[in-house]
Amino acid sequence: MFKKLITPLEKLKAPFNLYIIVFWLLMVLGVWFAATSGQKHLIPSPAQVFKGFSDLFAEGLVTHVGSSLALCFQSVLYSIIVSLIVVYLSPLPLLKPLAAMISKFRYLPLTGITYYFTVFFQTARGMQIAVLVVFMSTFFITSLLSVIKDIPNEEFDHARTLKCSRWETLWEVIVKGRLDYVFDVLRQNLAIVWMMIVTVESILVAEGGLGVLIKNNDKFMNHGKIFALQIVILILGLLIDVFLNFCRKSLFRYSKF
Amino acid sequence: MPYSIKDTILYVENLSVAYDGKVIIKDINFTEKDIHREDVVTGQVIAILGRSGRGKSTLFKALTGLVKPTSGQVLIRDIKNSTETDIKAKMVEEGDVGFVDQKYTLFRNKTILQALKFALRTSNLSEAEKQSKIETYIKEWGLEKVKNQYPNELSGGQRQRTAVIEQIFSSGNYMIMDEPFSGLDVGNVEDVKRSIHKIGEDHTLNTVIFSTHDIELAVSLADSIYVIGYPTINGKLENYGTIVGHFDLKAMHIAWQKFGASHLQLVEQIKTLMLNS
Ligand SMILES: Nc1ncnc2c1ncn2[C@@H]1O[C@H](COP(=O)(O)OP(=O)(O)O)[C@@H](O)[C@H]1O
Ligand SMILES: [Mg+2]
Repeated sequence: MFKKLITPLEKLKAPFNLYIIVFWLLMVLGVWFAATSGQKHLIPSPAQVFKGFSDLFAEGLVTHVGSSLALCFQSVLYSIIVSLIVVYLSPLPLLKPLAAMISKFRYLPLTGITYYFTVFFQTARGMQIAVLVVFMSTFFITSLLSVIKDIPNEEFDHARTLKCSRWETLWEVIVKGRLDYVFDVLRQNLAIVWMMIVTVESILVAEGGLGVLIKNNDKFMNHGKIFALQIVILILGLLIDVFLNFCRKSLFRYSKF
Repeated sequence: MPYSIKDTILYVENLSVAYDGKVIIKDINFTEKDIHREDVVTGQVIAILGRSGRGKSTLFKALTGLVKPTSGQVLIRDIKNSTETDIKAKMVEEGDVGFVDQKYTLFRNKTILQALKFALRTSNLSEAEKQSKIETYIKEWGLEKVKNQYPNELSGGQRQRTAVIEQIFSSGNYMIMDEPFSGLDVGNVEDVKRSIHKIGEDHTLNTVIFSTHDIELAVSLADSIYVIGYPTINGKLENYGTIVGHFDLKAMHIAWQKFGASHLQLVEQIKTLMLNS
């Protein structure tokens, strides 16, 4: 049995994969308890983290989470609209370089640019959204461009044989034919988007949010709270990931990847 | 079997296609005419044979107007503006000629019903007529049970049949199928043969052109066979495709007949020709 566990490409019977997952979870928890049982320890103990949670609730964790989610939703919405317009028009030879260029801007560091936004936006919230939209768009555009690039030539030819005009081909094959991929692009970029949100919230402080919580608690070196906060951020991110996948699969029955 | 030759329905002259300066096919010339037989509606079934990479698919793209030829032209009958006595020709354009590619590509986001409706979007039929036309085809082609399914929920054979009907709905009398028999099991092969016959029996002007690697199948199905291969010029084998042989099975008196000894002889002849080109 043990030999099977370390054999490459070996397939185990049904419940065993689950047992292995449970084993690892217990291991992680066990190591955590063991490593933090002494007097001096680098990471906070489960009890400290638990206390961190209740402190966070007292500080209005729910409101902060709500604020971050609202910021996330708003900026992702604007950003995906901008990105889709740019990408859907990228098959026009005149606009092709534009999309490619915006995609390259993702290498610009976030912090250096934020100054310019302060000039244009009065409210901190507006500024947060603007910064996020600009940066997210570079990532969305990159992914969306590669979705288009991966469309087999046969699909365009197929539309053309059915007497589709060029614009109709664009509409049928690129826009309608790949709508489900938009959800996947959102999901795949979620990790970076989520990180950006927390960062932007802590740089451009507005109405709170998880970024502000991290920043404030960083100063006091409250490890229990910081750890608890990290867990909250991780779980939220994973939940959005699952939610987006669920949306894609239930909205588009044919979307099986 | 007695038959008569009417007017030209496909005229290909000096056709050549080059990709990025590399000549793929060159000097392609052929003419196909409308065939009539007494008491039987007879379309034209043309097979294109040739080894891999000789340019069969490229020729098809030129014949369907999907690729602009580097030189030469493809003329088809201008059905709309022709009359019995005054037949007009036109240069082929996208959508004039139905094309089912090797992968039976469909819209991934349309069910069979939606796809067929889309294929009829520009037709002059009324909504009710469209509906009944779709229903008729779906029944006749055995797609009733799967009509609400998406391409990735269909078998290869079902996808192919859908692709064929789409093209019948959208294009005129011309249909090109690129390797329609590849990757199908025995049952599906019979299905496709039946579809090709069905198209031919529908209208005398209907013309199906298909490519295949199965020489026997081509000989048993087609009434005209072209072999595309590399020509040998001055003792040197060139590396662009062109027509290296044409077999008119009608003139050989073996079209529309049960496969026999003369068919087998032709298979051998074509095999030799292909091996040398
Ligand atoms: N879009 C293309 N660009 C460049 N070369 C191509 C393209 N399509 C086909 N070719 C080349 O043209 C030749 C003929 O290909 P094809 O027409 O697919 O042959 P066949 O269908 O007979 O196998 C091959 O050498 C292939 O590599
Ligand atoms: Mg081919």
